[in-house]
Amino acid sequence: MKTISLPLSEAPAPAQAWFAPMLASLRRSGKLLFGSPLNAVLTLLFGAMLVVTVPPMLRWLVLDAVLFNPDPAACRAASGACWSFIYAKSGQLLFGIYPVDERWRPALVCLLILALLGWSVRPASWTPRLLQLWATALALIVWLMGGGLGLDEVPTSSWGGLPVTLILTVVAIGIAFPVGILLALARRSTMPAVRIGAVVTIESVRGLPLLSILFVASIMLPLFLPEALLPDKFVRALIALTVFASAYLAEVIRGGLQAIPKGQYEAAAALGLPFWRTQYLVILPQAIRVVIPALANTIIVMIKNTSLVLVVGLFDLISSGKAALADPAWPSPAAETFLFIGAIFFFLSFSFARFADFLERRGPASR
Amino acid sequence: MLSDARTRSIVIQCGLVAAVIGAAALLVTTTFANLQMRGIPIGFDFLTTPSRIVISEAILSYKSRDPYYWAIVVGLANTIFISALVIAFSSVLGLIVGVTRLSSNPLAAGTCRVWVEIARNSPPIVLLIFLYSLWWKVLPPVGDALNPLPGVFASMRGFVIPAARFEIDGAGAALILAAMLLGLVAWRASSLRRFRSEMAWGTAALLLLGLWSADFAVSLDWPVFTGSNFRGGLELTPELSTILIGLTIYTTGFIAEIVRGGVLSVGTGQWDAGRSLGLSRTQILRLIVIPQMLRVIIPPLNSQYINVVKNSTLAIAVGYPDFLAVMNTIISKSSHSIEGVFIILGVYLALNLTLSSAANWYNRRIAIVER
Repeated sequence: MKTISLPLSEAPAPAQAWFAPMLASLRRSGKLLFGSPLNAVLTLLFGAMLVVTVPPMLRWLVLDAVLFNPDPAACRAASGACWSFIYAKSGQLLFGIYPVDERWRPALVCLLILALLGWSVRPASWTPRLLQLWATALALIVWLMGGGLGLDEVPTSSWGGLPVTLILTVVAIGIAFPVGILLALARRSTMPAVRIGAVVTIESVRGLPLLSILFVASIMLPLFLPEALLPDKFVRALIALTVFASAYLAEVIRGGLQAIPKGQYEAAAALGLPFWRTQYLVILPQAIRVVIPALANTIIVMIKNTSLVLVVGLFDLISSGKAALADPAWPSPAAETFLFIGAIFFFLSFSFARFADFLERRGPASR
Repeated sequence: MLSDARTRSIVIQCGLVAAVIGAAALLVTTTFANLQMRGIPIGFDFLTTPSRIVISEAILSYKSRDPYYWAIVVGLANTIFISALVIAFSSVLGLIVGVTRLSSNPLAAGTCRVWVEIARNSPPIVLLIFLYSLWWKVLPPVGDALNPLPGVFASMRGFVIPAARFEIDGAGAALILAAMLLGLVAWRASSLRRFRSEMAWGTAALLLLGLWSADFAVSLDWPVFTGSNFRGGLELTPELSTILIGLTIYTTGFIAEIVRGGVLSVGTGQWDAGRSLGLSRTQILRLIVIPQMLRVIIPPLNSQYINVVKNSTLAIAVGYPDFLAVMNTIISKSSHSIEGVFIILGVYLALNLTLSSAANWYNRRIAIVER
């Protein structure tokens, strides 16, 4: 048998200088940046913009900034940002007017919620047991924040900062989710009264700004309800957020319900399943799987929306920032404070958005 | 009996209606009891009484002895003014940013991506408060105002830009408006096609008469810096400018993503097909790509525009008197909270329904007509 000699080139490659890879990548990026007239114009335009804006920003953010020196006088003297203020006031910024000696409690609550959120985003943990876990955690959170049973009692009027934001988000979505499912089912009902009720509820809530709903909740609830039943400010804001989230979640879930082929209903009917068991065992598990990316987006919107509760006098991150700024000992570094608060929100919703992307890439989950 | 599906559905619906009516009746009686207990009168008569509230800035003229209803109109005009400007700016910017994100140029695409991520992941209210806090940090006092473009000044007191002033006589304006209406009817109404040439002549005659009697004049009011103040021009306060800039930055991020999705949704095969038909680049863009893109873009764009109207309520965070802020002041001043809340709900629902029905009409026009 004749051996076939493979045309392996044994000849030495042309001598490669050590900088050749760099040169190649430079050439590649040069082609990307200046390959066509349009690209060259874009590069010059954006390059000029960055050259004008980035160095002053960098000087303010880092180079001229006071980083750790906890002396307000240093901040007055510096021309850059005053990060030591954030550092010195971090407790007040994060936990608001919560009693200073008890700050470990809201800190624990924040860690608990974040850990649970991180745990819950794993597709592997989407089981009914997750609900039990959240229910237990919620009881623990209420106990830790509110006190009783051995802990000092802290009224909701002194809750503040990050835990308020996190609790409002999580609880509002937690209640709004089942309500949203009911509304979505009602909107697809064959009974006209039920359907019209759902349509009117969903569309009027979606047609209103959240701020106006928050205002209505804080102005109208005291008039609607007898004095004895009146919930406090925290619960009023929570009701408004829940109503708002329910309507949006209902529309997302309705999208999922519409994606379920008719055959699934017919199969369930052939098995003799009654309405609620059809929904619970056959339809909803599939419908919700389809819309998980959309649900994640709605949750991001809700995380951002909780920042609005400050206008009805709740002590969230923004209000605690404003309170910290009122300290006359410091030069009131407002831009730094709001940048810090914005960064917290950005971190929360950006990581959630990446998670939503991951779900979208994974495609509709199937068992 | 309940096993019969029809009967059961009727029973459930009757039960629901009864529950809604019962809850409403309970709420109304408690509310009236509460109102009576606090001695709060009810009714819309207060709208015509002088308001004596302060509206710090308005695009319509307002004095504190004007009646309440005029204060409401002034607030609503502010809301519509902000929303319209933000929608216009962010549509243009969103188109540019969205297309630039698809560019092969890493510098341009990366910068636009940073913009989009910041806008999409930060709460608009934090963005507004942050920008507002920057105002006094970045801009110089009025004495040495920045003058980046001729006629544009930026200082701690806000922006001053050239203003266009239109002067027109009322009767002439009415005639021109009538000419426009007639022209529109002549152009659109197919049932009146027989009279088209008569209507065209009528339009032209009305227009000429209107222009002749209108004393139409446009003058550009150029701001002049007098050392401590500005004369002429249009002044935009820091509050108004912050809202316009902040909401535009925010909305642009979302519109850019919608535009990007729309461009990506039209496959490259469509370009190839157009080229094989011998169409030019602009023809492909105009006849094939853009119509398909619009179909994808319009529904989400519409909900973004509605979001702009909703987000304009955040003006309250920097103290600009938009409709909701004015209503809030009115409610606390007049203690007509029930009436105020009904006005708030009615106005926002009407605004958003108008916007979405306009978009739905347009959407139906461009939708695929399947025969």
